[in-house]
Amino acid sequence: MAISHALRSHELAHAEATGVWSWITTVDHKRIGILYGVTAFAFLVIGGIEALIIRLQLARPANGIVGAETFNALFTMHGTTMVFLAIMPLNAAFFNYVIPLLIGARDVAFPRLNALSYWLLLAGALFLNVSWLVGQPPDGGWFGYANLTTRQFSPGLSIDFWMLSLQVFGASSIIAAINFIVTILNMRAPGMTLMRMPLFVWMSLVTQFLIVLAFPPITVGLIFLMFDRFFGTHFFDVAAGGDLHLWQHLFWIFGHPEVYILILPAFGIVSEVLPTFSRKPLFGAQIMIYSGILIGFFGFGVWSHHMFAAGMGPVADAAFAIATMLIAIPTGVKIFNWLATMWGGALRPTVAFHYAAGLVALFTIGGLSGIMHASPPVDLQQTDTYFVVAHMHYVLIGGSLFGILAGAYYWWPKMTGRLLDERLGRLQFWLVFAGFNIAFFPQHFLGVAGMPRRIYTYSAGSGWHLWSFVSTVGAFVIAVGILLFAINAVRSLRHGAVAGADPWDGRTLEWRTSSPPPPHDFDEIPPVYGRDSFWREKYGDARGRKPAPRPPVPDAHGIHLPAPSLWPIVIAIGIGAAAVGALTSLTLVFLGAAVMLIGAFAFALEHHRNPAHVHQIGGLGIDHRKLAMWMFLGSECFFFGTLIATYMAYKGRSIVGPHPHEILDLPITTLSTFDLLMSSLLMVLALAAVQRGDRRQARLWLGGTAFFGLIFLGFQAYEFTTFVHEGLTLQTNLFGSTFFVLTGFHGGHVTLGVAWLLTLLVLELRGRLGSQDAIKVEIAGLYWHFVDIVWIVIFTLVYLVP
Amino acid sequence: MSDHQHPVRTGAHAPAAAEHATTRTYIVIAGVLTAVTALEFGVIYVRRLAPILVPLLLTLSLGKFALVVMFFMHLRYDSRVLTFLFVAPLVLATLLAIAVMTLTGEFLVFRR
Repeated sequence: MAISHALRSHELAHAEATGVWSWITTVDHKRIGILYGVTAFAFLVIGGIEALIIRLQLARPANGIVGAETFNALFTMHGTTMVFLAIMPLNAAFFNYVIPLLIGARDVAFPRLNALSYWLLLAGALFLNVSWLVGQPPDGGWFGYANLTTRQFSPGLSIDFWMLSLQVFGASSIIAAINFIVTILNMRAPGMTLMRMPLFVWMSLVTQFLIVLAFPPITVGLIFLMFDRFFGTHFFDVAAGGDLHLWQHLFWIFGHPEVYILILPAFGIVSEVLPTFSRKPLFGAQIMIYSGILIGFFGFGVWSHHMFAAGMGPVADAAFAIATMLIAIPTGVKIFNWLATMWGGALRPTVAFHYAAGLVALFTIGGLSGIMHASPPVDLQQTDTYFVVAHMHYVLIGGSLFGILAGAYYWWPKMTGRLLDERLGRLQFWLVFAGFNIAFFPQHFLGVAGMPRRIYTYSAGSGWHLWSFVSTVGAFVIAVGILLFAINAVRSLRHGAVAGADPWDGRTLEWRTSSPPPPHDFDEIPPVYGRDSFWREKYGDARGRKPAPRPPVPDAHGIHLPAPSLWPIVIAIGIGAAAVGALTSLTLVFLGAAVMLIGAFAFALEHHRNPAHVHQIGGLGIDHRKLAMWMFLGSECFFFGTLIATYMAYKGRSIVGPHPHEILDLPITTLSTFDLLMSSLLMVLALAAVQRGDRRQARLWLGGTAFFGLIFLGFQAYEFTTFVHEGLTLQTNLFGSTFFVLTGFHGGHVTLGVAWLLTLLVLELRGRLGSQDAIKVEIAGLYWHFVDIVWIVIFTLVYLVP
Repeated sequence: MSDHQHPVRTGAHAPAAAEHATTRTYIVIAGVLTAVTALEFGVIYVRRLAPILVPLLLTLSLGKFALVVMFFMHLRYDSRVLTFLFVAPLVLATLLAIAVMTLTGEFLVFRR
């Protein structure tokens, strides 16, 4: 393997180290991709076993393999596992391994955050599945509809396991998504303009935006549920004026974009595989990009089609029906463009091609039944029947899983340096394809015949026996197919034919480097000659004209590989311990929080003043950290938007007092608002002082900002204690629940901001905050100002508007 | 905190101009924010403004919000990419919040 002279020897030693410790501390995007892939495959198997037990139970009438309670747990865990622990992390495996290679980068923007995302996912996954071992698996469905999930109707720990693990998955996903947005926007090789990016990168980018924006509403919903269960609030308490629709809205505002989070990466994979094995460019690549963006955008406007049966009224039903039908247009464009890509191409029917073509066929079936659900009257007939189960699996297996398997066969040689066996692969494809259709097509018939989903058994006279049995047979055929994939993978690792750098005669940059790639991905940053750059480099454009070779882009600071880090796993262990503590012991909560905090501080300061980490300006001319902070603030808009919307929706619906006008103290709050606004002035003065290297003023204004923040927190503490003395607590009424949670989370953000500012102040006092660190003050300032503008909105809507 | 550098620029995107507000501008903005906050506090006691109070308060709040974002957070001087990353989610979140309020709270756009 040719290694550039610019690569430092100790970095290379770290990167090429083997053994468990090297994997625990790795920050290499390729290794993290493999960790995601292996973990996700393990959970795909676990979720699959849960599905097989479900199918065995339903294979014949009045079956007694499992009881009703276990059945509830099985379908809940199957759905949760497949969505959060199988399909999403399998997609993440490709994001991690392939995106930097496709854009000509050496790693992601934040390698240690990348590791943190993985370890958080693993911590959450283990925590969720421990529920089986303690005999209290979640049993409220993957959607967790309130008020089935409240303490009154689910008194054990089962919902707590589900609720807390989903919060951890959310944190993991949002961190990863921001990382990839920054990576894609800011780390592309020279010449890789947005419209030249491969489709997989584009669809991944859209997916990351969906994750960043769709997860906060469900995070807030889960916070409400947590407060209802742990602290006796009334968010989902109908007797206190709560609205059960609120949970459904918050869940599906996340849940529908989640469908696209699961499927768009598969669309991206297919858009890479089909052109390669058709030896043609992707038909209408730009339209494909716009279609993906439109699907993502419309994905936020259709959530209530999951709630047609909930009684939203004709206006809402009509609006969401139209929006849902509209989304079929960009999706249809993709289907036709894939067909046009294959049309007239020199097709090579590899296994990857089989799966990609399979997706086109099967997703179309799932898409068509989806359009049927878009019509409220039709949907009312299909809601909660097996017709919906069939539709959903045609989308998520026929779509997502087929795309993932296409990607697995396509990029396996790049990841391992060896080919998978094509003959065994084809057998595996036909088993999965046949098994899938045998398992799920009959479920359309069952649904139309009226078989409800989530029932654990049925009577012999129902007429559902035959197709249920056929469906079970199909499920086992799929299982054999997946087993064959595992066998193929293991055989390939031991005896597979060696793959060269470019075994498929590929079109994109990942095939330009060795298989597997070196630790630094590319010896030289690859030149980009246009869309399908590597193909153009090899064969020229449509007329065969090859581009003039460009000299390699020099690495201004040499090749830098990030050092391994222990702190990501330490933080994840702390969070995992706190989650366990939430169900067992308050002491463990504090212990876990302490470990997490220590890990977070060590993580943040690990490379402080490391010269290799000072310059992080990317292709957009923006520092990676600043780009990430703005994206995080975009995500926070959704977080606080959901909290504020809930406060407003519940305003005036408390059954008992005290009510807002009886208790809110406007003069005091106006003062605290003034205080917070002035803290923002001090913050910009602090940044200006750090930028010009004025240490005395930097200390003064940083300390001043933190002090003003503490004054604001003092005002809030005074307000809270006054309210409690006047009889308003979290548990008093809906106003108390919504007010304390909204303002409390804002106060939590202020507290975090004060801690951040004090850390910077301590660094300054120790002489470790120079003008080269101004970016660190700037991003702290952005966070601080955001907390300020959120308060501007809260002050108006909560305190001023009558 | 980020830990990986990538100094190469795509060339297609020029870095934003390093123009920034002056200290004087910051102090003027802080003065305006203080005045508007005092105004917000005052207008709720003026009975004649009752019919337009809510839109008036929302407008004043929006103005303060915009001033902080544009000047203190430097969005006025920074790359349009950053504006997109913040404003697009902000608008979408606002629309979704209005939709949720409408669908669960029976006010604003239409009734159930």
